Amino acid sequence: MSPRDLSGSPSAAILIQGMNKYYGTFHVLRNINLSVARGEKIVVCGPSGSGKSTMIRCINRLVEHDAGSIVVLGTELNDEVANIDGIRREVGMVFQHFNLFTHMTVLENCVLAPMLVRKIPRAEAEMTALRYLEKVRIPEQASKYPGQLSGGQQQRVAIARALCMRPQILLFDEPTSALDPEMIAEVLDVMVSLASEGITMICVTHEMGFARRVADRVIFMDRGEIVEEAPPEVFFSAAKNERTRQFLAQVLNH
Amino acid sequence: MTISAPHIPLISAPPAPSTLTGLKRRYFATPFQAAVSLLCLMLIAVLSWKLLNWAIFSAVFGTAGGPEACKAAGGACWSVIASRWRIILFGLYPYEEQWRSALACVTVVVITVLSCIPAFWTGRRIATVWVLGVTLFYLLMKGGILGLPRVGEEMWGGLALTLFIFVSTCLIGFPLAICLALMRRSDLPWISRATGLIIDTVRSLPLISILFTFAVVLPFALPQWLQGDKLYRVILGAALFFSAYQAEIVRGGMQGVPKGQEEAAMALGLSYRQRIAHILLPQAMRNALPATINQFVISFKETSLVIIVGFFEILASGNAAYGTGDWTFAYVEVYALIAFIYFVFVFSLSRYGAFLERRTSVGHR
Repeated sequence: MSPRDLSGSPSAAILIQGMNKYYGTFHVLRNINLSVARGEKIVVCGPSGSGKSTMIRCINRLVEHDAGSIVVLGTELNDEVANIDGIRREVGMVFQHFNLFTHMTVLENCVLAPMLVRKIPRAEAEMTALRYLEKVRIPEQASKYPGQLSGGQQQRVAIARALCMRPQILLFDEPTSALDPEMIAEVLDVMVSLASEGITMICVTHEMGFARRVADRVIFMDRGEIVEEAPPEVFFSAAKNERTRQFLAQVLNH
Repeated sequence: MTISAPHIPLISAPPAPSTLTGLKRRYFATPFQAAVSLLCLMLIAVLSWKLLNWAIFSAVFGTAGGPEACKAAGGACWSVIASRWRIILFGLYPYEEQWRSALACVTVVVITVLSCIPAFWTGRRIATVWVLGVTLFYLLMKGGILGLPRVGEEMWGGLALTLFIFVSTCLIGFPLAICLALMRRSDLPWISRATGLIIDTVRSLPLISILFTFAVVLPFALPQWLQGDKLYRVILGAALFFSAYQAEIVRGGMQGVPKGQEEAAMALGLSYRQRIAHILLPQAMRNALPATINQFVISFKETSLVIIVGFFEILASGNAAYGTGDWTFAYVEVYALIAFIYFVFVFSLSRYGAFLERRTSVGHR
């Protein structure tokens, strides 16, 4: 399956129907239905253990779903390795713990996948990488190793690394949860500026300010289910579900 | 960050102590320490004098006087080395052809040194160096072309044989170890279990028994065309033994690589082979480096075990050098030379390991 099939589809960017996931006998995800339009920004929140991370990890098959279907950019995610590879090329991910490759410099981190997966020549890949490093405001750190950077800088490099693949969809898995408070803002700023550029984003986070500013829709998950799904203005002021209101009371009353 | 730091008055650092005061402070701080230091100095002086006297001042160097001159002198008898060094270094290799064996040793040292230089660490360069080097070594040793008389493997010996066994053991054993380590962490239970069983079985057998099996027992089980020379069977056995240990070392290194590294590589779309080659192995090898150098050192010294299946590597040919009647009294000097040769190789290996550790720890906190 060629990448062109992935980009040409007019339908939703992501379509999840009746997805279920078990860890042994533990039912992590219960009948998840979710449709994400191209360019849409979605924020997923919920208490820990509610399945948020598992859900977005299913989208690029870091976790295998047990039942239901996931269609990403018109390609069904199944055991076909070609489909999985094709989807991963178009779906970038930013992790809670950055997961930069510690044995490579910042620049090498950024050019590795474009060179190996997209077969882009080194010179071109480095130019793209430097442009994205500039965008996340750390071009001067390109020759350093991840261990020499602060957490906030590492996370911005991780965002640049994901962008270097020119993905159509970006998944964020609690990108600010492992950061010191003074570094959260610098990462969120980068994410806000990304959001204004039309890329499809799904972001698991507890940063409700961010959700208010950029989300088209906020999703609340609890015990493996999507409990509430609403635009931010409705979500924060007029949540229908009791559990959502409880959660918001806990998160917002600080 | 714009929080202003509290004002700290500047105190100038005390002047660096001179070497003499530094020595005084470290070794002569209290009367007891001074006494211990003096005692140790005296001990070192006496021992060095005795050693130098034995090894140089009262030693016999030339071969002119023969064994009798040695027996008369009180010191070391280096004339045994002077008259027998060719046996120690080249074993039974034909006398007129020993320059080939020497050149082969140089070849091995050169390719080893080349492959230790970071500039050669690309797949193609390393492969070129080794293919060329090993071919050259083999042609030099074996001959049979370009007018070089043919010398069978059973005549190879001394340092050249030791180096050949060590280098080819590692050359076969190391890739095998990585394969075993990868197979052991396979998701398919049959593969991982079977690999685990192989590794544990090989590790629980003594090396001697493996060498013996490969040299003596295997020919009964294999068809003629598959047997090859005894030397190569022994090397295969040693490589298998090496790889079983090294596989566990590599696996340990892999376990030290956080799971997130591989997840990030997957999320970027890297294939299994790309993840292994670019993400997992480089980091695993960095973790496994100290234990790997250790394994290399052990393997180098274990080459001496091939003596039991009839090969004259350097230790065995050393035995032969003094064991021929005239020089039987001079074994200490022969062993001193062999120990020195082992030391040079093993010590450079461990210094190189330390260099690698410093180099790979760049930017790694």
